[in-house]
Amino acid sequence: MDIGNIKKHSDLNFEVAQAKKNALEKLRSRQLMAYNERLFMADANTINLVSTLKQHSKDFYVLDVNDNPCHVKDPNDFLNKLIERNQETLNSYQQLHQDLAKKRK
Amino acid sequence: MTTGVLMYCFDTPELNYHRLAERCVEQIRKYLKLEITIVTNLETFKKFKPLGMINYKLVENSTTNTRPYRGKSVAWYNKERALAYEHSPYDTTILMDCDYFVFSSTLLELANTEFDMMLHDRVHDLTGKNMILGRDESTLPLVWATVTLFKKTANTCAIFDMIKHIQEYYSHYRNLYRIKYINYRNDYAFAIALHQLNLGNRIPTPMTMLADSVDVIDSDGDGIVFKYNNDVNFTTGQDVHVMDKEWCNG
Repeated sequence: MDIGNIKKHSDLNFEVAQAKKNALEKLRSRQLMAYNERLFMADANTINLVSTLKQHSKDFYVLDVNDNPCHVKDPNDFLNKLIERNQETLNSYQQLHQDLAKKRK
Repeated sequence: MTTGVLMYCFDTPELNYHRLAERCVEQIRKYLKLEITIVTNLETFKKFKPLGMINYKLVENSTTNTRPYRGKSVAWYNKERALAYEHSPYDTTILMDCDYFVFSSTLLELANTEFDMMLHDRVHDLTGKNMILGRDESTLPLVWATVTLFKKTANTCAIFDMIKHIQEYYSHYRNLYRIKYINYRNDYAFAIALHQLNLGNRIPTPMTMLADSVDVIDSDGDGIVFKYNNDVNFTTGQDVHVMDKEWCNG
């Protein structure tokens, strides 16, 4: 491979890496979710926490992103909302990921 | 409880901020569907195209500040923002620069939570060149006043009183926090006030930005296309602070 092709390859990889970074920032931003006047990220950590606590108690407290306590009185409702938002953001990220994979081939 | 958007918009001899505000209003209507109040001066007000239901508040603005823009020093009318607490007719206000373009409903999520004041403390440069943040610009934990959500509480009232005080004695605070730039910047005034009062929440995700050396070459209601050097890229579904002030001029 000559230096011109290597440069092209490098440029393409930079572009793809940046597109991925931008899409991940967009995903994180879209995962911000208000619940009971508290702010949560609808990410795997929150989903796992709520899912685990739900198995032990009908209502419980969790900390939001600003470390404020939130009383979760209806865990099923909260968990459904978290999963819905999480999957909505991941679906759009997955589409972009596929486009990027095609670009790399 | 009312929620609305408050914007400050003053044309300068060099830049047509009213064009940016017109575009900004379209985006707010599409994604946030909130009432909008624009604080402006008579001269700028006359240039606005009819925008439907907007609350205008006319003021006489201070004209003593400047900023660097694309290698030139240009006029910058940014001091009225310290009066946002008095100017806002809303219980929950999204105070927004007219060069911040909304392409999602994320701000609504933030507005529906409990806080006194909330703003960004990090930025994400969409070009990947990290052109936004300089090094050692101050000893302050910096915040970005571009989008500031606030509720009318005693704490917020104290923050805005502090900002007015900082504006009046800016050279003192600039020395105290070793701020590199001489001109008055709201980002620093807000950061100093929050630091002094130990108040304010941070928006957990960074503010997406395009530096002033990036040209916006196309846009629609869902996103924008931008160009830096010879690289063309786009963003959709993501709110973005665009520092190219001329892209709405047509």
